[in-house]
Amino acid sequence: MRRFSRWFTVGLVMSLCLIVFLSLGVSAANTIELTYWTHTDDNRTEIEDRYIAEFTKLYPNVKIKRVVNEGSKMGDLVLTAFSAQNAPDIFNLPIEQQYAYVQHYRVAPVDYKAAGYKDANDLRAQYLDGTFDAVTMDGEIYGLPLELTNWCIYVNKKIFRDAGLDPEKDYPKTWEEIADVSDKIVIREGDIIVRRGFDFRYPYYLVSVLPMIEQLGGKLLSDDGKKAIVNDQAWLKVLEYMRDWGPHGRNLGSPTYTAPRKIWNKDNNDMAMCVSGFYQQGRLRLDNPEFYDSKEWMVIPFPVFKGAVNDVACSYYGHYMMVNAQTSLEKQEMAWKFIAYMLDHPMEYLEKVNIIQPRRDLLESKDFKALPYMDVFMGDMERAHIVFLHENGYQFERFIKEAVESVMLSGVQPQEALDTLRERIQEVLDSEL
Amino acid sequence: MQHNKRFSMEQKKARWGWIFVAPSLLFFLVFSFYPIFNAIYMSFFKKNLLSLKPPEFVGWGNYVYLSHSKTFWQSVSNTAIFTIGTFIPLVAFSLMLAAFIVSRRRFQKFFQMALYSPAALSSVVAALIWLLIFDPRGLANQTLNTLMQTSGVNYHWLSSSSMLRLSTIVVYFWKYVGYFTVVFVAGIGGIPDYLHEAALIDGADSWKDFWHITFPLLKPTTLLVSVMVMIQCLKTFSTQYLFSTSGAPTRPIDVITLNIYNTAIKDHNIGRASAMSVLLFLVMLILTWLQLRIAKTEDVTYN
Repeated sequence: MRRFSRWFTVGLVMSLCLIVFLSLGVSAANTIELTYWTHTDDNRTEIEDRYIAEFTKLYPNVKIKRVVNEGSKMGDLVLTAFSAQNAPDIFNLPIEQQYAYVQHYRVAPVDYKAAGYKDANDLRAQYLDGTFDAVTMDGEIYGLPLELTNWCIYVNKKIFRDAGLDPEKDYPKTWEEIADVSDKIVIREGDIIVRRGFDFRYPYYLVSVLPMIEQLGGKLLSDDGKKAIVNDQAWLKVLEYMRDWGPHGRNLGSPTYTAPRKIWNKDNNDMAMCVSGFYQQGRLRLDNPEFYDSKEWMVIPFPVFKGAVNDVACSYYGHYMMVNAQTSLEKQEMAWKFIAYMLDHPMEYLEKVNIIQPRRDLLESKDFKALPYMDVFMGDMERAHIVFLHENGYQFERFIKEAVESVMLSGVQPQEALDTLRERIQEVLDSEL
Repeated sequence: MQHNKRFSMEQKKARWGWIFVAPSLLFFLVFSFYPIFNAIYMSFFKKNLLSLKPPEFVGWGNYVYLSHSKTFWQSVSNTAIFTIGTFIPLVAFSLMLAAFIVSRRRFQKFFQMALYSPAALSSVVAALIWLLIFDPRGLANQTLNTLMQTSGVNYHWLSSSSMLRLSTIVVYFWKYVGYFTVVFVAGIGGIPDYLHEAALIDGADSWKDFWHITFPLLKPTTLLVSVMVMIQCLKTFSTQYLFSTSGAPTRPIDVITLNIYNTAIKDHNIGRASAMSVLLFLVMLILTWLQLRIAKTEDVTYN
């Protein structure tokens, strides 16, 4: 009897353990865990954490882990994660980087039904024309836009007046005027510049320098994509302009000085104009509310060269939400549901994060149109195109950077720099990696 | 008893030796040997880091490409300039500073700590600090202008090719001189006092003592330091990476490691990057072997 009761107790305990184990297993099997990698942005973190809480309340079987990485490292981290087959379920990157992921089928097409659309046409109808051109392949759309950004020029009116200029009348409309106005504003101690009129956003050559070449009729690649550098004269003119801009020319600026947009907000009489997106206003409001409210700043359109053959503004770029193609179909479906839920708050993204989602309902709203200098940004958007996209786009941008900086800083002749640039890009095109 | 018969004391020691060594051996196998062999294997393939397609075997193709690539040879030249420019002053000044510190009766620990502190900083933080110093409006120009009694001269620390190379050497020197000084101090401390005392009795002054006693007996330490410095210099990356992404022209400081990074991570060409890594590895291996071989022929002992 005692032996029986001992065996009975052991059997009971084991049965209970089995039940608990199985129930845990069942609940684990029903739980969908999504990993979402994004870049640092405190304002966005605040609202997206709330969206995650709301979404997981709607879908209690879903767990979402939001991982924030430093923006400059995101590209490397996502790339290594994908190459090690250990990538997040959801991620966003600048479209110049994401383009290669689409080309190599590393991301899944949008699950229209899960995202709340009938089909691709229904999705397209909700957004600004051309929004999905960069992420469309074989008729399928591979990402939903978190933001679409273009850059214009922010002007500090006080510095203009200090240099004897009337900001409302004398603001520069051409690149030649940008240089001349900068010459009037610049203050130097010997060779060292202590106040700049304007300076470029140097690492972003595809966004802001390539359009300057296009204004003069140049292109990076021929239309069939097989030949590097179209219209040498256009390239040479821009390279000469940049050489004259640098320390060995008119000494108006250089990549080795602090990035203009970082110091423009401070209103310290050291930077009159910088090129930046609408989001700069949100940062200005946080960094220097007094200057933001002072009405001593304004936004002007991206300049063109005198005699330009194309009226092209600064290219716009985007961050798209994408889903890892190697994750399970169940996860993919839930990921698109979650992305659609987040992106269904375009006004909040605009007000809290200062990023523009190109949704028609937002762009046509009165509140949107009433935002400061939105007409300037939208006007430039109309005369711009999306940033140059190519599987080797980043490589080409590095080559352009080296060409421009070699003429600006190292005394290389524009023709020599252009020949080297052409040779390097052509080699990549010919290698067909 | 049976057990004792089967294993001698030596065998027992050896067995325990293997047990103690096993974790680090496993660590090296996973984190050093596997990547080395994987890089050698990958160097014979054409592979896009993002592509799901299997790698395409190209034999010696990547090596042949590198043999006539201008960019690669530019990187080799940049690495050689950096290594020579850093190696000699770093070894020489570390030794001099160590001799100076050991000769002090007071504040030895303070000097060691002060010199060593930059080594504790991350390379990225160190490069960021120096970026501020080398900014056209920064401390480097101000100091040089004061010393040269000039006004407002921009010495182009981050833009002219030669100054940019010098800047990366300065950062590296500043960061590691203290570390190697401490290694030399430890080496000098290992030389028996009676040798110095005997030299003193024989009438040697401190200069002769250094050249005839300290310096020859420091040879193993000098060898260790020179091998470490050389390997560190050939592997230099963070300073060049941060400078080139902060506005400095890439070409003069495009060292091999930076080229490897850009080829693999930015251009997605992992096969070619692996081939460069293998070549760098071989260069380091050969130079280290050469140093060890030269050092072996000049052994010095005092009985």
